Amino acid sequence: MKNCARWAALALSLALMGSPMHADPVQVEPAQVGYSAAGLYNLANAYARQGKPGMAVLNYERASLLSPNDPDIDANVSYVRASSHVPAPPRSTFDRVVRIASPFALSWIGVIGLVSVGVSALAAQLSSRHRWMRRLGMLFGIAMISLTVANCIALWPILHEGVVISAATPVRVSPVPMGDSLFVLNEADTVKITAEHEGFWLVQTRAGRTGWVSHSNVAPVVPRK
Amino acid sequence: MSTRRTHVRLLMAIAGAALVLAAPAIADEPLVYATIQPAQITLGESARFTITNLGDGTAPITMPVVSGLQFEIVGRTRQIEIINGTTLPSSSIVVRVTPQMAGIFTIPGVTPKSQPVVLQVNSLPGSAGAPRPSGPRAPNPPPILAGGSIPKGVHLTDDGSAYVRLSVPKREVYVGESVPIDIEIGMRSGFVSSLNGLPKLTGDNFTLGSLAHQPERSERMIEGQSFVLLTWRSVLSVVKPGTFPLAAEVPLTVKIRTRPRRESALDDQFGDPFWQNFFGASVPKDINVESPPQEVKVLELPAEGRPADFHGAVGIFAIESDISPVKAEVGDPLTLRMRVVGSGNFDRVDSSMLDHVEQWKTYPPKSTFNSNDPLGHKGEKVFEQPVIASKPGVQTLPALSFSYFDPNTKRYETAHSPPLSVTISPSLADSTQMAPALAASAASGPVDKLAEGLKADHAASQTGMSSLIPPYLQPRFLVLPSLLALAFAGGWVGARRRKIPAERFAARNRIAQRATKRALAQMESAARSGNPAQFFNSARAALQQSFAARWQLAPDEVTTAEVQARLSDDDDIQQVFALADESKYSGRDLESTDFARWMHAVRQRLIVEQAQ
Repeated sequence: MKNCARWAALALSLALMGSPMHADPVQVEPAQVGYSAAGLYNLANAYARQGKPGMAVLNYERASLLSPNDPDIDANVSYVRASSHVPAPPRSTFDRVVRIASPFALSWIGVIGLVSVGVSALAAQLSSRHRWMRRLGMLFGIAMISLTVANCIALWPILHEGVVISAATPVRVSPVPMGDSLFVLNEADTVKITAEHEGFWLVQTRAGRTGWVSHSNVAPVVPRK
Repeated sequence: MSTRRTHVRLLMAIAGAALVLAAPAIADEPLVYATIQPAQITLGESARFTITNLGDGTAPITMPVVSGLQFEIVGRTRQIEIINGTTLPSSSIVVRVTPQMAGIFTIPGVTPKSQPVVLQVNSLPGSAGAPRPSGPRAPNPPPILAGGSIPKGVHLTDDGSAYVRLSVPKREVYVGESVPIDIEIGMRSGFVSSLNGLPKLTGDNFTLGSLAHQPERSERMIEGQSFVLLTWRSVLSVVKPGTFPLAAEVPLTVKIRTRPRRESALDDQFGDPFWQNFFGASVPKDINVESPPQEVKVLELPAEGRPADFHGAVGIFAIESDISPVKAEVGDPLTLRMRVVGSGNFDRVDSSMLDHVEQWKTYPPKSTFNSNDPLGHKGEKVFEQPVIASKPGVQTLPALSFSYFDPNTKRYETAHSPPLSVTISPSLADSTQMAPALAASAASGPVDKLAEGLKADHAASQTGMSSLIPPYLQPRFLVLPSLLALAFAGGWVGARRRKIPAERFAARNRIAQRATKRALAQMESAARSGNPAQFFNSARAALQQSFAARWQLAPDEVTTAEVQARLSDDDDIQQVFALADESKYSGRDLESTDFARWMHAVRQRLIVEQAQ
């Protein structure tokens, strides 16, 4: 059922793009309909080639979520931002350390850490032998869980970020299309999404300014359903 | 009045003195100069502009043209003047200057060499009741227009100096209807010195529209006399039904003569009130001039056939609509416009436009009014409603309608606009599904200069994730670690529960061993000091601790009887307990060798107990 829905969405997209002759059958694999780092990276490159820096940065950010240490993604997103005169968001050493692996891998690492801690604790109750091995297992497990938790802490702000995908996006005082404009966001700017109301995001810029923008102007890094 | 005359004489004397001083120069070439009196007047008054030409030459004189000032030649004179024995012919042209607006005007020189003059015109006083200088009460002058016919609707004041005419195009109007009207004020030239306020309607049954704009100015001859006409165009409306009298009034200041006409030589000479005014033969007086009342019947709007969306618009209207842009993405705001054009009470023209349309999100509309006339009676009102499509595809917005009451047909009408179609494409923000198509189109489309520094594409992987949310934040994934944590916690609690009795037993053993050690040390100490009571007490205590740990009893419960019952084969231990009791109560002394034997027996027994 899910695959049918994906095929239908894909067919509609192709029809609306008006270029069915370009639809390569090899590319239209159901597996590609999902999110993959390579797919998002290629999509971002395609947007960059079309001169759409907002959509390009958005998809680079999404690709970076799945593959945080890909140097090509980092290079291209920095290049697109620099070309659009948009400053890159600062990334701390903590961010770089805890994003050593993808969230997918770190999720399983956390599970392994939990198992390690659990087995060590259980073994301590069942036997008094191999005390050092038990302690080592406990420390290993705690370290793995800590890494996962730290990754979650580091990713949390990014999960609530959005990228401006339209040029000269007006930020309004209220969540209505005719609301007075407070200021204007540049395309490819990254903002923090703090709330949502009837087709509008309440966003906050890095300078601390807040206002409402239409859903059609800002796309969240992590799509919300 | 005498003061003004003195000023005029003084000015003439100054001008004469100037001429005497300038006589040699004047003799050579003609001198043309201009003066204006008075240099400061109020709107509605006139000033005298005199152009004097000294000498016998003919200098070219051009009448000045100044926007906002009206020049009218009222007389010419020619005379001979003798200055310092020199005969100078002179001619003068007297021009009446009537301002049409307030301000400071510079009248340019009438010849290239003559100097400009300045006239300051003050605006009318703000209210009709503003204090005005009034002269002594004078007898009413005879009417200027005695008898004769006057235009229809014109009803002159008693002295014939002014009139107000109210023109209403219809006698039957509906409640809320806007009716354009004309208010015409006729002021006889030179007799009305100022207009002290804007016209207003008498009574409180009618509401008059704005009169802020400038009135139309014209001149008209009535019965051979020149009248300045000011005409305001406005709209009136009524808020309640009934039959009401309607009239307009305006406050004026008129000039009335203070002496009979025959005594004024200038009047006789020119027959013009300008000269009468100039030489002080009149005084100002504030009056209210009112138009003849006329009856207007106000009808109530019929209740029958009133549409649900009728908001009180009365007039003749038509609507048209459009939407922009006609192609958009999901989530993009579009603007739906409805234009209501026609004539009527646009202040009551209102519409909520679209509300609750499926697959559309609608917002309250805003309206702006563009008037085609100064009255705001004709024009167009534009309603703009933001709408947002929630689904892609070709979407159709339903027809718009607008209801109003037509006073000509005397019934309610509803104007309709055709439905509008818009093409909505999917939002760019949800672009994942479009990846293949976009990649394909990008490969064949124009390449932006942004692409020049990009790293190459990656080989597309065959696996994809259904969500970008990290698994550790997805409830579906969190089930696994939660179950594992529960399992480990359960196992740990179970193991812990099983371990507790053994730990308690071991702890008790450890406590018993420590107590036994202490008792043995006390035994050795007692043996060295030769204290049998302490020795056997310590021995019994050490044995009680040891037996209590094995027999699961409290140490106090290990009595001599208990030992005899449980250790019937061990006479030494039974004897130790007995000797402990005996030494405690009898105080019997034991030999030193006895200490060693009993010490050995107790140690042996403790070793046996620990081994068990």
